[in-house]
Amino acid sequence: MDQAYFLDLLVGGLAIGCVYSLVALGFAMIIRATGIIHFAQGEVLMVGSMSGLSTLWLLPRLPAVAVMLIAMLASGIVSVAMEFFVYRTLRVRRIPIMNVITATVGMSILFINAARIIWGSEPLRYPDLFGTLAYTFAGVRISPQLVWIMVMGLVLMGILQLFLKYTRTGLAMQAVAQDPDAAQMMGANLTRMMVYTFGVAGIMAGAAGVMVGSLFFSFFQMGFIIGLKGFIAATLGGLGSLAGAMLGGILFGLIETFAAVFVSSAYKDGIGMVLLIFILLASPSGLVGLWKRRR
Amino acid sequence: MADALLEGRGLTRRFGGLVAVDAVDLVVKEGTVHGLIGPNGAGKTTLLNLVAAFFPASAGTLRFRGEDITRHGPAQRARQGIRRTFQNLKLFAEMTALQNASVGLHASNAAGVFDAIVGTRRHRREERAIANASHAALEFVGLGQYSDVVAGALAYGHRRLLEIARAIVARPTLLLLDEPAAGLNATEATNLSALIHRIRMQGTTIVLVEHHMDVVMSVCDTITVLNYGHKLAEGTPSGIQENPEVIEAYLGHAREPAHAGA
Amino acid sequence: MSADPALSPRRSLQSRVATLVFVAALLVFPAVYHNPFALHMMSLVAINAMVALGLQLLFGFSGQLSIGQAAFYGIGAYTSGLLTTKLGVPFPAALLASGVVASVASLLMVPVTRLSGVYLAVSTIGFSILVHLVLMNEEWLTGGTFGLIGIPRVSLFGYTLRNPAYSYFLCVGCALAVYAALVRLERSRFGRAINAIRQNEDAARSSGLAVTYLKSQCFVIAAFIAGLAGSLYAHQVRYLAPDDFTFWKSIEFLFMVVIGGVGSLFGAVLGAAFVVLLPEWLREIGDYRMLVFGALIVTAMLFGTRGLAGVLAATGRALGALMRRAAASG
Repeated sequence: MDQAYFLDLLVGGLAIGCVYSLVALGFAMIIRATGIIHFAQGEVLMVGSMSGLSTLWLLPRLPAVAVMLIAMLASGIVSVAMEFFVYRTLRVRRIPIMNVITATVGMSILFINAARIIWGSEPLRYPDLFGTLAYTFAGVRISPQLVWIMVMGLVLMGILQLFLKYTRTGLAMQAVAQDPDAAQMMGANLTRMMVYTFGVAGIMAGAAGVMVGSLFFSFFQMGFIIGLKGFIAATLGGLGSLAGAMLGGILFGLIETFAAVFVSSAYKDGIGMVLLIFILLASPSGLVGLWKRRR
Repeated sequence: MADALLEGRGLTRRFGGLVAVDAVDLVVKEGTVHGLIGPNGAGKTTLLNLVAAFFPASAGTLRFRGEDITRHGPAQRARQGIRRTFQNLKLFAEMTALQNASVGLHASNAAGVFDAIVGTRRHRREERAIANASHAALEFVGLGQYSDVVAGALAYGHRRLLEIARAIVARPTLLLLDEPAAGLNATEATNLSALIHRIRMQGTTIVLVEHHMDVVMSVCDTITVLNYGHKLAEGTPSGIQENPEVIEAYLGHAREPAHAGA
Repeated sequence: MSADPALSPRRSLQSRVATLVFVAALLVFPAVYHNPFALHMMSLVAINAMVALGLQLLFGFSGQLSIGQAAFYGIGAYTSGLLTTKLGVPFPAALLASGVVASVASLLMVPVTRLSGVYLAVSTIGFSILVHLVLMNEEWLTGGTFGLIGIPRVSLFGYTLRNPAYSYFLCVGCALAVYAALVRLERSRFGRAINAIRQNEDAARSSGLAVTYLKSQCFVIAAFIAGLAGSLYAHQVRYLAPDDFTFWKSIEFLFMVVIGGVGSLFGAVLGAAFVVLLPEWLREIGDYRMLVFGALIVTAMLFGTRGLAGVLAATGRALGALMRRAAASG
């Protein structure tokens, strides 16, 4: 394989990996804080993607960053709405976990079908957000989209880390995720932290949605498979570990991209599944768990 | 001279950096009631868990009836005749007392899925035998009249008894009791001592982890004292009570009052 | 107390009568509604109910959340379809083969039964997706996205079942057989064992239960039943497409169990009826029906009921209390 092709794949894998990382982070954060798998996280991504698209239709000359911000806002709001109307009620009424999971799947169905009614069932093309001139690196031409996605993805993840580590709210969120009772005793407002957690997870998903839309296309069912892969990435990293989610996403993106070439592109989606099952059998707490145990 | 039914050598259990049980030798003679006591955090329950294979030992070996069972898992040990109760009561909350007890007999029966669906004679025969044996076990611990009561609805003291009934229904060779007197009042504790005695009379060897000193002193033949994961002393009840090191280990805790629970 | 201790609660007279009435209604149904579409829908309900019953064993009894039953359903369907169309195998053999092939496939899940909760569920999702991919891509075998067409009607002992009422009886008959078998299992040593595993796995293990083995058995049984159902489905609709057996179909089966009431065999049947029939009733609202369906799911879950079976049981109790009071004051 020549260098150019390899670099192509590498960049492509990293880019999609960043997308998966953002989605995975959302899963990880919500699982840490609530113990629930937020099945509808993929749909939040879809809402972000569609909102970005609609915004572009209304204001075609809006710069990419603005589109992202609007999409992130939309998906953040949707995510918080889910928390407010559904998860909070479930928590307050102490509904058994199975019903909760079923409810999130029900929500997915709701959103997917609402999206189909609003935006139709055809895949929709994103207009070029990032310019069409390819960058050149080491003699290889790389699509600007991929570069932008990686940069924005990494920037977002970086901001999240800083937020969690150095702001009061961020620290409070982490405290609540680790030990809700102790955090409450220290003065953290549990409800507000929940809202923030879902909000941040939604924002991440929205950004990812715009990225995916511009990389491929947007359509009403896009959330499902991407959500599932984001979940696999989070599991790879050990559900509940933020660092694991980020690493898992990038790793998964790379593996998937390279395996599609070397194994089979028809079974591309299947690669993730097989990988997931093997990882789980080796270590239910994911790769991070495996690594921790070796030390 | 009774034979060694259970021989643990160098039993060790580490949790990360913490050594909960440190190279403890435990020899339990057949037909005896062997107590394991020590201050909180001494490693008694951990040691019991090692014998029951609730988790694997970090080091050491364990022989049961001369056979090396170090690598055997909990289900296998249970089938070999080692049964246990749990300090935190692990009952099947949605099942009746009778059904709870019957689970203890699962491994001793053979009728399978096919037999159950078709309703073979073997199946019906075994179900009757299981029902009778389970009821007998309930009667033995004093719960005969509660056999149709859902476990979750039983009073605390009765739930402790049910846990024991489930453990003895298959006539185990070795019974491991993990703080069976926890939370019991004086009357219940006395009844428990009598029950342990009755179980021993049936030929079951017993290892008893317990804080409740009245129970310990009245039923045990041998007592092993643990402290910080080490074996501190071992001997007869009176010997242990007079052992200065043991007294010092408990100093500050004084002798546990009769109502002390876990 | 009782001289004959009862390991399983004795079935009350009301329960036995209710069962009889229900079965009688099922048998009489085609005489009242001879409209072929209605019979076809009821056959589908019976077929789906079978899979839901298997899932109830797996999830409701042994506590293993599998969101991958559609895979076994699909494997059974394609096995039967292929055997009858390509190899001319007679239906009864194809039916049995479907169950067997599906259960052999489920053996792949055995290592996964060690996992718990979420991880198990995700693995089953992965398996479901993998099977769907195979069904879609291996055109030489399954016809790929073009599907498998021309599956013959059920033919028993040389007699083809053309009358929809006959296939209705076949499907309902199989469903009843599965139901009866599972009722027996529930009340057996095996049933108590897997319930014990669900309620407290540690205690089950310490009592000598071979937990992984028992859990795997549940998977195999559920897969076998799903395979049988798949075969019936293939010969009922006579055309198979991979998109009939996606992850979403697995979710549907889960819904049936949850909506019907986790842990209740009858609930699984009710749930199947609900999930299969409701979109039909909602068909008038066209595009909006899945939307309403999703909303209904969420609302139902928010109320945390014990499912339709729970509602039914509560209604039954309330009625019973009413009748007793009426009789007392009578």
